[in-house]
Amino acid sequence: MKDQVAIVGIGQTDYEVHKPHQVLDEIVFEAASKALADAGLSRDNVESIAIAAGDEIDGRPISSMLEACPAGAYLKDEIKVTEEGSYAAVLAALRILSGVFDTALVVSWSKCSETDVTRVTGYSAEPFFTRSCGLNYLSAEAMMLTQYRNLYGLPEKAAAQVVVKNRRNASRNHLACFRKPVYEEEVLESKMISWPLRAMDVAPLCDGACALVLASAKKAKELTDKPVWIKGLGWAADTYYLGERDLPALASLRTAAQKSYSLAGINDPLAELDLAEISDVFSYRELLAYEALGFCQPGQSSELMAEGITEMSGRLPVNPSGGSMSGHPFLAAGLVRLAEAALQIRGEAGAHQVDGARLALAQGGYGFCGQGNSVFIVGA
Amino acid sequence: MLREVAIVGIGQTKYTTTRNEETYEELIFQASKLALDDAGLSPEDVDAVVLSIAPEALFGLDHPENWVVGAGAALNKPVMRISTGGATGGSAAQAGFFHAASGLFDTVLVVGTEKQGDTPDTQLILNKIMEPRYEIPFGLNAISMTAFQAVRHMRKYGTTQEQLALVAVRSRANALNCPYAHLRAKHTVEDVMKSKMLVWPLKLYDCPPRSSGSCAVVMMAGEKAKKTGRPLAWIRGLGATSTTYYIGDKLSGTTFNEHGEWDELALAVKSAYRQAGIKDPSREVDVAEIYAPFTIAEVCAKEALGLCERGQASSLEEKGHWNMDGKLPVNPSGGALASNPIAVTGLARVAEAALQVTGRADARQVGGAKTALATAIGGTYQFHTVMVLAS
Repeated sequence: MKDQVAIVGIGQTDYEVHKPHQVLDEIVFEAASKALADAGLSRDNVESIAIAAGDEIDGRPISSMLEACPAGAYLKDEIKVTEEGSYAAVLAALRILSGVFDTALVVSWSKCSETDVTRVTGYSAEPFFTRSCGLNYLSAEAMMLTQYRNLYGLPEKAAAQVVVKNRRNASRNHLACFRKPVYEEEVLESKMISWPLRAMDVAPLCDGACALVLASAKKAKELTDKPVWIKGLGWAADTYYLGERDLPALASLRTAAQKSYSLAGINDPLAELDLAEISDVFSYRELLAYEALGFCQPGQSSELMAEGITEMSGRLPVNPSGGSMSGHPFLAAGLVRLAEAALQIRGEAGAHQVDGARLALAQGGYGFCGQGNSVFIVGA
Repeated sequence: MLREVAIVGIGQTKYTTTRNEETYEELIFQASKLALDDAGLSPEDVDAVVLSIAPEALFGLDHPENWVVGAGAALNKPVMRISTGGATGGSAAQAGFFHAASGLFDTVLVVGTEKQGDTPDTQLILNKIMEPRYEIPFGLNAISMTAFQAVRHMRKYGTTQEQLALVAVRSRANALNCPYAHLRAKHTVEDVMKSKMLVWPLKLYDCPPRSSGSCAVVMMAGEKAKKTGRPLAWIRGLGATSTTYYIGDKLSGTTFNEHGEWDELALAVKSAYRQAGIKDPSREVDVAEIYAPFTIAEVCAKEALGLCERGQASSLEEKGHWNMDGKLPVNPSGGALASNPIAVTGLARVAEAALQVTGRADARQVGGAKTALATAIGGTYQFHTVMVLAS
């Protein structure tokens, strides 16, 4: 894929467990304003808006009615998607690729402190069978891990190492809310909540918002000398029915990755990528993602983890930002991963910078057991 | 625009109050199959899918897009769901266009369904879209928010209830020619005037039905579309505008606009007309499928679209200007006053416009139609979309 669309502005709020002094509008406004300021663009000059939000997290039907204008959409061309944050970036990129728009402001958010997110995820279970079984994003993930255990054994230690790694990385990310390092033992001894998921295997929820400004090649060159080019992108969804999926294979992630690698001309992701920001909504999910992304063979992710390949000092740092283990703004998480990948390419990731980062992967996922996934490849 | 995109296939199901015999998935499947069959395609031919799904509160399951991946021909494919309230169908059509126009996909399926018959009371839910601190306790809902539009328009332009009634008469009579339509009737103005007053000046017959049903269109990149040999409805222009949320933001002389003046739509259609090369819409547009869930909404839309001067839509109505045999037929399908399956009402407008410009609208065909408009509206008259289709 030619360099046609670039990230030219990045804005994130602090991620906090609870933002009691700001209503959601203010949180959204903050991220959107920061991204515009970072791009050196006024709201007047942004041509299109793409937002990602969920009525069920925002607690109202058509939540974009309230949040579209704080996200910059007043008298603008705006569309909302609902999968998760990175999908707003996908749509914005398509709009620029079409040639109709040269600029796009992309915004996503979640104020998890105002809702019982776990319970709410249960309302996407179909009402005939699974709703009354108590299916939610935790219990679904637990089923997937049981399958993985049956195939390859349960990588408890490696999963705990993911948490340790990401929390250590988070200590160098001033925006993160969970920055205190943790020990493997703490994770392995934390309370069992949905076997095999322990409390510390679950990314802690937080409040926050994230925004990006995307621009066409022509406009990007006017705005910045550090455009972060979208080199590849792909997205796909697996079947809804858990029983019909080979759950641990994360097929939609593999498909999305293959599409993005193909566009970006990547043959060996482990060798060619400088870093990856991926979903660690659960500790184990990061391990499964190593496999689906082709960083290693199926069943080999714990080895990759144990060898330190994905540590900051390793060959392919994963989640230098701390990932969702540092604070999970639920629906916005994938956009945060993309923002962090972009910061890395710009060399602006501060204390959590991966030296010489020129090519990065960012992933966002949604649905039970990562039913759907998007993958971006971004680079200098 | 760099890459041309055309609609090559259309599918709609009959719109009825409830669809109790089918699941949500089955409804998505029905329209997908109809559209793909119409295009002479199979699910494998679909490169990407856009789902047109309205607020989950009208349905009772969060993220229904997850449930319908298989039914919507999206398994293992790029798929995303669009949700912009009532404008969802229009926004989804636009998103579908952008998928194809991006150059990444050749064949895009845009499909959605509405199943609001599963809820006991749509207006109870639509009260909850209002601002929670002040507006919800007032009991505001879609009907009362529309009454603001009517009151201002009547005050400013002298529009009368009888003139508004003509919109309902024309729409439900047109619907008699549309096999998918929900409410089909030969009203008289008197029938409308005698119907129950709900929120002054809006009476029952000024309002839409609660409809369920599905709609899908298949879009294709121009080069490939031409090779199909099928009748093509080209997407020549599009635009959208979102605006302020608060009802009170349109209640003074210092605001961008007032209730009854749809300047947001005027802004959106400016882009669409420019892209389509339309300079005098009142002459160059042959037919318009306008998302007008209430009689007054159609009046405001026509004026904002530049199909006539502001304040003139109703006197033109009286002259039969918008009739099937008039100068510029509006809503030959009956529009939203006949069928309002909220998640896809906007998509159905695109589908109907496409049928018109390809001469496939059967009994509701406007003779010689070559250029059509399709609009959609969402929220508190907050989200406006418009598309120009042409053969």
